[in-house]
Amino acid sequence: MNDRDFIIGAGGISISFLIYWFIGHPYFITERIVMFAAIMLFSGTLLFFIRKARRGEEIFLRDIPGLKAVEEAVGRSTEMGKPVLFVPGIQDMDQVETVAGVIVLGHVSKMTARYETTLNVPVSRAIVMKAAQEACKESYLMEGRPDMFHDDMVHYLTDEQFAFAAGVNGIMVREKPAACLYMGKFYAESLILAETGNSIGAIQIAGTASQAQIPFFVTACDYTLIGEEFFAASAYLSQKPELIGGIKGQDMIKLIVIAVLLIGVVLRFFHDSGVIDFSIINFLTVK
Amino acid sequence: MLWKRQIPILIVAVIGSLTLFGWFVDEPNIKSFVDDDATQWYDILASFAIFLGGFNLLKMQLQKVFRKQSGWQYSLFAIGGFILAIIAGFFYKGNPDVAWGIHVTAKGTLFKWIFTYMFAPMQATMFALLAFFVASASYRAFRIRNFEATLLLVAGIIIMLGRVPLGSFISSWFILYLLILIGGIAVNSIFKNKQYTAIFVIAGIVLVTIGGISMGWPIDQPGVFYLPYLQEWIYKYPNVAGARSIMMGIGLGIFATSIRYILGIEKSYIGE
Repeated sequence: MNDRDFIIGAGGISISFLIYWFIGHPYFITERIVMFAAIMLFSGTLLFFIRKARRGEEIFLRDIPGLKAVEEAVGRSTEMGKPVLFVPGIQDMDQVETVAGVIVLGHVSKMTARYETTLNVPVSRAIVMKAAQEACKESYLMEGRPDMFHDDMVHYLTDEQFAFAAGVNGIMVREKPAACLYMGKFYAESLILAETGNSIGAIQIAGTASQAQIPFFVTACDYTLIGEEFFAASAYLSQKPELIGGIKGQDMIKLIVIAVLLIGVVLRFFHDSGVIDFSIINFLTVK
Repeated sequence: MLWKRQIPILIVAVIGSLTLFGWFVDEPNIKSFVDDDATQWYDILASFAIFLGGFNLLKMQLQKVFRKQSGWQYSLFAIGGFILAIIAGFFYKGNPDVAWGIHVTAKGTLFKWIFTYMFAPMQATMFALLAFFVASASYRAFRIRNFEATLLLVAGIIIMLGRVPLGSFISSWFILYLLILIGGIAVNSIFKNKQYTAIFVIAGIVLVTIGGISMGWPIDQPGVFYLPYLQEWIYKYPNVAGARSIMMGIGLGIFATSIRYILGIEKSYIGE
């Protein structure tokens, strides 16, 4: 799709929505219009920067030490002749973090295929197991090493949180992997895993959006991808322009959010002082 | 190619859009799909997938035993546990008065006994390990290596002391004296001059003492140095500000990732 088509498409959708709105917008929940507009604005911003990146415009992506260290960790495992352990969290594929974890696994398995290093992926959900197996299989195929791939590199342990932690700890203590990567959604088992990894001297990289677990990972791991960095991993590791463009778009959305916050503070001040009647809190609250 | 590429992308795009925009549509069928049906579909899929997981687990453990791989003895326990759970779940209730189905939660059944006296204590044991790991992790986090670690240490001490009864007995004036001494260390390390340090510490002590005498040494005044107030402020403001900024980043990350999936820009999940 070229620029002209894109503008025509976007304009067409906007005009259609305006017509729909002015004829009485049947079925639309009017109280949620602010959220709808925000989603449209943010999606538009993302698409704009993705298109910019696709056109070849250079986009600066700051260094993320945790992601730079992934290759280093796999390399270290290769040198030591030890496996790489990858844990894609303890939740199912209905969590975005698990999906992001499986995507990072795809990139990591490309590296292990390239370096001919053993990869061990214990999972706690059967659907994640199938998805992770597919991701690894594709990666090994793409790297031209289908012979190195075997289904058992991704294996199911249990759905139970602490039983899973015990199982992974057992693998760590017995196999002593040189690199442990934790990418996904974690709960209280995060520290148990990370401390055990630390005790066996593995290089550890964690990535999660589970806010309560970030301090544990920061303390026990060598590198931690905090929140959005974790979701940027795919773009960073693949270096695909459209994904990097998305990251730039995300930063621009962040600027918009900061501007809304500042304007909101001022409007709130004026509302509380009785200068204006418009309540920004009521306006922005999702109903 | 069509089945492995286009169809999955189409399914993600259609279901993703429906779930996202269904939230804005006041139509009972779409509403019930978004709120109930979609999640139930997923649960049904997951229920069938558990067989895949179970078989995989059994296969891995049996392979270990037959090939006598290192630690194969542990696999015997895993296989034994697996078989025992299947027997207790499908073949032997252990209590004929209890109906099939509720026997997994009813008292006096083998399944419930396994859960209460084997599974729960083992889970609790793993959970209890967390306390020791917290201690070792805290030691590493609180080691004074740089400015940030020192800040973390100080904030941690304030929060811990401020949240226990002992903290409310520590006077603000004691904290002020302590700060003067810490300030003295800072002045000494910056200027490396004993005279400056002495002047700073003596002047500080004199000022705090004069302030204390004039105010009558109230335990919770000045409030900014009273640990229960201070911990609450740290907890409510700097802590919440940091947490919310991370939350916003996470939210944006999830949003951007979801949009990339829905629009078919991110295709790594199908191995592309």
